[in-house]
Amino acid sequence: MNGENRMLSERERQRYMRQLSLIGDEGQERLRSASVCVAGAGGLGSPVSLYLAAAGIGHIRLIDPDRVERSNLNRQVLHAEPDISRFKVESAADKLRALNPDIQIEPIPVAIHDENSLRMTSGMDLLVDALDSYQARYLLNRVAYIQNIPLVHAAVSGFHGQLTTVIPGETACLQCTMPYPPEGKSPPVLGATAGVVGILQALEVIKLLLHVGDVARNVLLVWDGKCGRLDQIPIERDPGCPVCGSSD
Amino acid sequence: MVTIKVRAFARFRELFGDSFEIQVSTPATMHSVIQAVGKRNERGLPELMDGEGKIIRSVIILVNRERITGERREEHSVAGGDEVAIYPPVAGG
Repeated sequence: MNGENRMLSERERQRYMRQLSLIGDEGQERLRSASVCVAGAGGLGSPVSLYLAAAGIGHIRLIDPDRVERSNLNRQVLHAEPDISRFKVESAADKLRALNPDIQIEPIPVAIHDENSLRMTSGMDLLVDALDSYQARYLLNRVAYIQNIPLVHAAVSGFHGQLTTVIPGETACLQCTMPYPPEGKSPPVLGATAGVVGILQALEVIKLLLHVGDVARNVLLVWDGKCGRLDQIPIERDPGCPVCGSSD
Repeated sequence: MVTIKVRAFARFRELFGDSFEIQVSTPATMHSVIQAVGKRNERGLPELMDGEGKIIRSVIILVNRERITGERREEHSVAGGDEVAIYPPVAGG
């Protein structure tokens, strides 16, 4: 938490009026005090960060090394035609600041790798996996475990998506859940699929920060957009997991 | 022959059907069950098994809601009445 604990301003009261009766001043202040790292500013990162910014998450760190391409625009709804060739995190930051000037957006246009992963995630209350490669996902999972930071994972393909929330030391981690990455690169993705699943991720983040409801612990939520169904697949910690197996 | 219940999720639901039963010769193994599922749709078979006829490693398989993992899961015994659930994890962001 970033330690800002002043009372809500009149502007904040107006902005959050329709949710204050739901979560209270205390809940809103909790969201404002939170620091969330969104790794990936693409198909999932766009809806996640939009809804986190709108909800009033006080500090959003956006990490992505890529620049906007025209072929991103069917699903990466934070970016538009004039943003082509800009860093995605810079394009995203502009939109998020316009949406909510009362929060801090920290765009970092680099890739997460072994050497910088601790620095990229330090001081964060939550990590959001909105990445597009399992190599980077496994690294984020490891660093979440090392730093004891909850991680909300999601991935999408076509009309389908999946989500799980990792609480280090308590739940199955991403490596337990998917010890082998799916094959293939750059699957087709419908923008609406990334939208549904990304917004589910934002909801997980908000629930985790507010300690309300149930999150997807030890369960893989599977969104089937063709049938309009959300299924739950039980998952469990693997005692032999190279990341989290030796704890307890 | 034994009857195995299968539940398929997401892309596998699209390829093989939502919830169905298959007949497999005894002794039934995970390999024979997955092979029988693949026969329901030739187009879908490459998403379940590789060119050598091995179950693709990333595919999540549960029997009676219990995860079946490890190098020897092909040989895992499956009994009549068991429910096998299959899901192919996705990668895009």
